[in-house]
Amino acid sequence: MTLTSITTREGLHEYLHAAIQLEHATIPPYLTALYSLKPGSNSPAFHVIRVVVVEEMLHLTLAANILNAIGGDPDLTRSGFVPRYPVYLPDGETDFMVSLEPFSQTAIDSFLLIERPAQSPSEEERVVRRSRAGTTIPAVNPEGDDGLHFYSIGEFYAEIGRGLQYLHDQGEDLFIGDPSRQVTPDLYYSGGGDVIPVKDLESAYAAIRLISEQGEGLAGGIYDEEAELSHYYRFQQLKLGRYYQPGDLPDAPTGPALDVEWDAVYPTLRNAAGSDYPADSELRAASDQFNADYASFLGELTEAFNGRPDLLIPAVGGMFTLRDQMTRIARNPVPGRPGVNAAATFEMPEVAS
Amino acid sequence: MSDSARTETETVYDAVIVGSGVSGALVANELSREGFRVLVLEAGPGGELTTGGYEGYLNRFYEAAGKDSNSPFAENPNASMPRPAHVHALRPGEPDDSSYIVQNGPFPVDGTYVRTLGGTTMHWEAKALRMLPEDFHTRSSHGQGLDWPVTYDELEPHYQKAERELGVSADVEDQSFLGISFDPEYVYPMHKLPASYLDQVVAAGVDGMEVCLGGEEYHLKVRSFPQARNGIPNPDYDAGQGYAPVGAVSTHQVEQGERCQGNNNCVPLCPVQAKYHAGKTLAKAMETGSVEVRTQAVASRVHVDNETGRVSHIEYKAYEDPSSGAHTTHTVRARIFVLAANAVETPRLMLASGLPSSSGLMGRNLMDHAYLLAWAQMPEVVGTMRGTVCTSGIADVRGGAFRGAHAAFGVDIHNDGWGWAGGGAEAQVIDLVDRSNAFGAQLRQGAVDRISRQLLLAFMVELMPDPSNRITVDGRYLDQLGNPRPVLNYSIADYTMAGVAEARQLSRRIFQRLGAEDHTEYRPTDVGYVTHQGQGYVIRGGNHWAGTHVMGSSAATSVVDADQRSWDHENLYLVGAGSMASIGTANTTLTLAALCYRSTERIISQLREETAPATIRSTQEEASA
Repeated sequence: MTLTSITTREGLHEYLHAAIQLEHATIPPYLTALYSLKPGSNSPAFHVIRVVVVEEMLHLTLAANILNAIGGDPDLTRSGFVPRYPVYLPDGETDFMVSLEPFSQTAIDSFLLIERPAQSPSEEERVVRRSRAGTTIPAVNPEGDDGLHFYSIGEFYAEIGRGLQYLHDQGEDLFIGDPSRQVTPDLYYSGGGDVIPVKDLESAYAAIRLISEQGEGLAGGIYDEEAELSHYYRFQQLKLGRYYQPGDLPDAPTGPALDVEWDAVYPTLRNAAGSDYPADSELRAASDQFNADYASFLGELTEAFNGRPDLLIPAVGGMFTLRDQMTRIARNPVPGRPGVNAAATFEMPEVAS
Repeated sequence: MSDSARTETETVYDAVIVGSGVSGALVANELSREGFRVLVLEAGPGGELTTGGYEGYLNRFYEAAGKDSNSPFAENPNASMPRPAHVHALRPGEPDDSSYIVQNGPFPVDGTYVRTLGGTTMHWEAKALRMLPEDFHTRSSHGQGLDWPVTYDELEPHYQKAERELGVSADVEDQSFLGISFDPEYVYPMHKLPASYLDQVVAAGVDGMEVCLGGEEYHLKVRSFPQARNGIPNPDYDAGQGYAPVGAVSTHQVEQGERCQGNNNCVPLCPVQAKYHAGKTLAKAMETGSVEVRTQAVASRVHVDNETGRVSHIEYKAYEDPSSGAHTTHTVRARIFVLAANAVETPRLMLASGLPSSSGLMGRNLMDHAYLLAWAQMPEVVGTMRGTVCTSGIADVRGGAFRGAHAAFGVDIHNDGWGWAGGGAEAQVIDLVDRSNAFGAQLRQGAVDRISRQLLLAFMVELMPDPSNRITVDGRYLDQLGNPRPVLNYSIADYTMAGVAEARQLSRRIFQRLGAEDHTEYRPTDVGYVTHQGQGYVIRGGNHWAGTHVMGSSAATSVVDADQRSWDHENLYLVGAGSMASIGTANTTLTLAALCYRSTERIISQLREETAPATIRSTQEEASA
């Protein structure tokens, strides 16, 4: 009886493009919080965020594999691919916006909303009607209605799964992509589960299941099928100051204490823009350089996802450079704004203008 | 000691293992998988296997002014460990007892090891080479050293197990040389690590080069080193099952270290734990629930039942505070005892217990590789400091007929510049700042010009077993807990020095072919300065202590048998590099790990055969003043 809003191959492509954009949209906020932590402190918080962000990168790659498998062309360089923050997520969750901000209680609250478990109780609420004023990400439009949005990332992926099944049932020859475009485990290391090459309905479902479970756990549990703690509960540990351990129930971790030093953080500027830094300053130059390098990095990923998966190995070196740049920027006070440090702005050259 | 209280536990373990390094961890893990109850005693600290604990070591290393391989570990007078900075040039006839190992000379050894949970794998470089088949019979083939009671072919299946557990990255094609053979279907768990740019530049100059040793021509080729460091898993491993690399040990799923990132901080510690350390194996062993680990528990005496010759119990001293000698003395009983405390500490414990072996060889035949360093400046920037510490080297003269006359050697191409010789990155930056007053762009450029052109070749020269090279104990030299410290007598034979001279000669020719400017200098004031036929050299230790409870085919000529079981005590196994009858030109860890797998098979069958429970006694022993 389930009806899907995805009824054409083109529609499915659009959803998967949005999935890639969605996975990516979480990365700048997580990295901003991660690299605001002062070195040598907050090791537990560092690891919690780090694991989540590398898994988001895995999810992005899995979404690209699914899109490639059905004959699409992933493109991370499209205008507007990197949003200007604050922003609504591109799956259409409209009750909160995501910001680039330093590690804080507020930031973790927002991360918990990003990773919240799918819990819409009924079919009607799976797609909720809300207005989307203020968004800069073009969201997918379930049923072509600009007012329809998903309650959670899990619901969004469930819809993609239903679309795949629907088109398959219609007799559509879905998996026409070139198998050599798939990113395979030898080329991809995430430390949070292996990348799954997608070649048929079964492997596509496996990829979707991995994304959903890593995000929000398996069937309401806090761990996924690989006994890995889901993102929502990983972040929640920081709020509750305690680690989960196997056997725990949601919201009641009983593992060892987890110490968070909420103050051992660089007070970076929230949703910083290049215009916050004086023109001709070294800081502005460093910020512009980071943005240019990030844009080329997205270009390299796009090339990798379009027939050159081997480029992912050298791209790792580029990621270390980006990390070093972000860390360096965050250590600098913003001239003329006492008590405020700079942060990478993630303004892509064509967006910044 | 007046402050010792004595307690005795009632538990009789299936096995008590002394030492939590790679040998102890492997044995504990194998026994626990068979359901046996195991207790591991570790002299040093480190009770928790957590990321936090590991990062504590890392931070200590980052903050240390002197970054030697033991700088991550706090000074612990209750379980001291040697450090290179503590070794001084010796004056003839005067022992140097100023640090933990008392050096009688004539040659001072600057080798180290680690006494903490995980043992020396907490600072090892993780080269994981197999020995050459000819290394197992140097006496028969070359008239030098000792033959092993085990052949390469017999040990081959155990090498495979060791390569799985340690997670070795290498390609079979690269490693098939000088008789090293593999099972036809075998592939290593992970592909070889990529050669550094420096390796490629050196290879362009060296490949095909001829060298004449003992009247025979050898052709050199730069080839990769097998490493216990996570690379790209080989999908063909294990008949197509593939291999899942083991990353950081953690109770909180930090999920890192499943692939090397090229941090080039391999020694002492890989920041992400992509390098194997025994904590990875211990964590698995402890998950079985049948392994207990007691840290800060220094085994102090092995007791033997005079009637049966079997080890009855082991005494250990437990301490709370490393800075204080206050301790309590405890006794543990087991059906099997395994000493895995390394080739210095194991014989030290046996000798301190009055157990010199009926062969008289306990502590003797001490071996370590003699390292000769040669360093030069390359004509162009070659990307020094990129990659892991060492990705490639030259192995073609590790074996050959010339070994009848002089030592074989292997060559490491170091990606970390001159650091080992002094004058590495840190020294260059200090020099630029202090002497050239460089800063900003000039400092950066200066660092690139100097450091990125550095080439250091380390020649690993073999050393044959010699009974006069030995570890002893002496009641005059005790540590803070009252345990005897190791006393070392050591010299380097002409056989090895002749190999050193050949190595130096080869280094000159290599530098010449590369157009590199030789900066090598051996100063008479350097620790480890030795002369040979009028030439001076500086020899450094390789930290590959071995031979001190040598294995052999009879009780008269060896301490342990081919399964590392003591000839004198049938329920005692002395495991580790101390059992090795030669060290050839291979880092010892992979081979000692293979030996441990061989031994565990024997231990398991012995435990099963000796099903009768050991006698449980509960005597309260008198405290000795």
